[in-house]
Amino acid sequence: MLASIYALIACGYVLVYRVSRVLNLAHGELMMLGAYMLMLTATQFSGYWPVAIAAAAGLSLLTGVLVYLFLMRKMTGEMVLAAVLTTVALGILLRGVMVLVWSAQQQYPAQALHVTNSSIVLPGGARISFFSMLLVLTTALIYGALLAFLRFGRWGIRMRAAGQSPLLAAQRGINLHAVYALAWGLSTLTGALAGILIALDSGLDQTMATIGLKAFPAALVGGLDSLAGALVGSLVVAAAEVLLIHYVDPLLSEVVPFLVLIAMLVVRPWGLFGTREELDRV
Amino acid sequence: MSRRPRASGYFRTSYSQDLKLVETRTERWSLTILLIALLAFPFLASPFQLDLANQVFLACIGAIALMLLTGYAGQISLGHAGLLAAGAFTAGILSKEMNAPFWVTLPAATIVGALLGVVFGLPSLRLRGLYLAVSTLALHFLVVYLGGEYETKRGFSTGILIDPPKLGGWTVSGGRIWYFILGLFAAATLLLCLNLLRSGTGRAWAAIRANETVAEALGIGVSAHKLLAFVISSAVTALAGALFAHYRGFVSVEAFSLFLTIQYVAMIIVGGMGSLLGAILGAVFVTLFPYGIEAALGALPGAQRHAGLLFAVNYAAFGVVMILFLVLEPLGLVGIWKRVQTYFLLWPFKHRPMAGSRR
Amino acid sequence: MSDPLLGVDKLEVVYQRVITAVQGITLSAQRGQIVGILGTNGAGKTTLLRAISGFHGTDDACVTEGTIRFKGRQIENREPHRIAHLGIALVPEREKVFPNLTVAENLLVPAARGLPAVQRKRREAQILQYFPRLEELHDRTAGLLSGGERQMLGIAAALVSRPDLLLVDELSLGLAPIVVEDLMARLVQIRRELGITILLVEQSAAVALDVADYSYVLENGRIVLDGDKARLTNHPDIQEFYLGQSSGKRRSYRDVKQYRRSRRWYG
Repeated sequence: MLASIYALIACGYVLVYRVSRVLNLAHGELMMLGAYMLMLTATQFSGYWPVAIAAAAGLSLLTGVLVYLFLMRKMTGEMVLAAVLTTVALGILLRGVMVLVWSAQQQYPAQALHVTNSSIVLPGGARISFFSMLLVLTTALIYGALLAFLRFGRWGIRMRAAGQSPLLAAQRGINLHAVYALAWGLSTLTGALAGILIALDSGLDQTMATIGLKAFPAALVGGLDSLAGALVGSLVVAAAEVLLIHYVDPLLSEVVPFLVLIAMLVVRPWGLFGTREELDRV
Repeated sequence: MSRRPRASGYFRTSYSQDLKLVETRTERWSLTILLIALLAFPFLASPFQLDLANQVFLACIGAIALMLLTGYAGQISLGHAGLLAAGAFTAGILSKEMNAPFWVTLPAATIVGALLGVVFGLPSLRLRGLYLAVSTLALHFLVVYLGGEYETKRGFSTGILIDPPKLGGWTVSGGRIWYFILGLFAAATLLLCLNLLRSGTGRAWAAIRANETVAEALGIGVSAHKLLAFVISSAVTALAGALFAHYRGFVSVEAFSLFLTIQYVAMIIVGGMGSLLGAILGAVFVTLFPYGIEAALGALPGAQRHAGLLFAVNYAAFGVVMILFLVLEPLGLVGIWKRVQTYFLLWPFKHRPMAGSRR
Repeated sequence: MSDPLLGVDKLEVVYQRVITAVQGITLSAQRGQIVGILGTNGAGKTTLLRAISGFHGTDDACVTEGTIRFKGRQIENREPHRIAHLGIALVPEREKVFPNLTVAENLLVPAARGLPAVQRKRREAQILQYFPRLEELHDRTAGLLSGGERQMLGIAAALVSRPDLLLVDELSLGLAPIVVEDLMARLVQIRRELGITILLVEQSAAVALDVADYSYVLENGRIVLDGDKARLTNHPDIQEFYLGQSSGKRRSYRDVKQYRRSRRWYG
């Protein structure tokens, strides 16, 4: 279950990196923003939770596109590191704004939507909450859709092309700005879905962005430009975390993803499925 | 590091002139005035302002160290808070467990910093840029975790208290004395780094930053110099952490969050990468920023109501300022300063003539 | 003489606001012509091509003076993908293909420019006729192709979008002479059958002069010489410095120095 959380978040990192070579360290905060948007739409659509979720997701998609158009586009000429630091600054800005608008208290969108998080009994006797199951299903769906899109869809191929060689892509008539905006939008969408479902499952507060940060090693372990890698990486990291928490020390929860990351960087810096050239792009 | 030619046609005619840090008469005068102002300050300022100045000095030390590593040697490090924590915790642990006096804790912290510098620096031998930043980030989390472990295991869940340092029978306490001590350390760090950058090591770093492959081909031991950059920078940072611990008298792992690293990175960006002056300007700016926000908020009507939101406003404003600098003026305050300078120097012309321009 | 397809007038390109790469370039290309652009390293040939096909943000370059007219419209300083939509396709010097996509996917990438899907397929098939080898390599990853195959794929992908003007940057770089000959022959055939105008940038003057109808010689960012094939191949300076043929007479140092002085007249 933890793996699917990480996976859903991780694919956002991979999308943006693969297409525009920028590491979006504000992903965690954007994810949190999506969940807060749910609080907004919850008051509008209380009682119709699928609509509320869809609305919040749509708003997040828009946010992602706007973030690219108004902020990241200005950074296209600069060093990659400057762009990454811009995302960091954006994350900090968002955190401040979110507390200002919604206060730092814990929120319960599920209550606002008058929806209960019932337990479902799985074969084998394990119990899982409704929204957790929804999360796992959503992860599977999104991954399937994205992998198919990137592999076979015409615009998916164009997005991959833009990630490999922006110069050539532009020369072949691909509007780079449109492609990048789409990548950011999709990335924010998937992150927001993760945030929304987690919030519905277990409440929403300021610590959600940390989960976003913990998913980042999962993306890197799998290879920062590989979707399949993100899936596998999430499984690896989640497994490691659960095992180590259980057998060694519960406090390790924050650190384990980064330990796995360090191990991976030592052994195989470009991740399990990443392409080797990535290392030299500074 | 090449010395900028002087605008007024001032030429250096001897090696000793080349080596001097302070050359023209204007520079000498400015420096003297600055020193007098700095020395007089503690006797004229309020305790609050003294505390601010002390914080600025501490920040300067850390910022210069980071500037050395990232601005000059070109090795991106996001683990700064981890190194500060290491220094602070070393000081805390040693003084709590073994009652070590400060003239033991400070060098010990520096050594721990140097050792950690090797650890933080090892990834730089294989990785560059983004991946290197990520590895230092991961190591930061590791250090912070270890600190947290120590705290809980030894029962200091709210943090470690340290007694003020003692020298002989004389206790060091009070803003004014700390001002001079910290000011001394900051000045020493500055001088050390200035000279380091003018030496062969500094030039090697500049070469590595510009183009690693070429540097290697020129015979510069790239790995050794990279590690050296990490070691020196980490040692100084840990020292700053230890000083911070002694100054505050209190060490706790919450103070060393990712946000602290970002603040230091902001210092060198806002100040302007690639110059020590930038590090200092950045340190001043970022340290005083929250207080400025606080003052600004206080001036607004209905301030009392919003007092609890100060933290969030801080975050938001900080993010905005950082974005503004990154997007509009990546060269930072030093860049702005140079632009202003150039404008006045070149007036009424707008641009310098280009070499080999149209006939 | 009808309006040229491409007209460049007193072009000046500046990098990073301080480096002038080309200055005062005036040239034109008629429909259906093959125009050669010759010059040594650093002469500004690639800059010229990139100016025509559009600069990116990362290049930090811009056209500061002069105009580029394509089909009557001014295209300098516009976005590259817009220029591509107008009908100009560039085969770049270094990144000719998308290395992690297959050959088939590479050919799918270019924008269709208003062609319905069926016609596009037909177009692809038509292009592949010129490069039968690519058909065999349909599913191979482009990064694994040999130099010559990569060049073929680069040209084919550029042609899929039905451009009116094809810009080829350093075709012969890194390829064996026999491969270059073959590619040049195909280009000439394409020009004849599809009526495309081609701007060919080449360091290897012999190769370019062989196929070009009209050529320009660039040096230090300026055009120093231009003419048709006969004029250039018979020009003594071209012969000596670009074609490697000396006149046989023993040249004294003063003679060579004389040449350098006269070159300064050119700019």
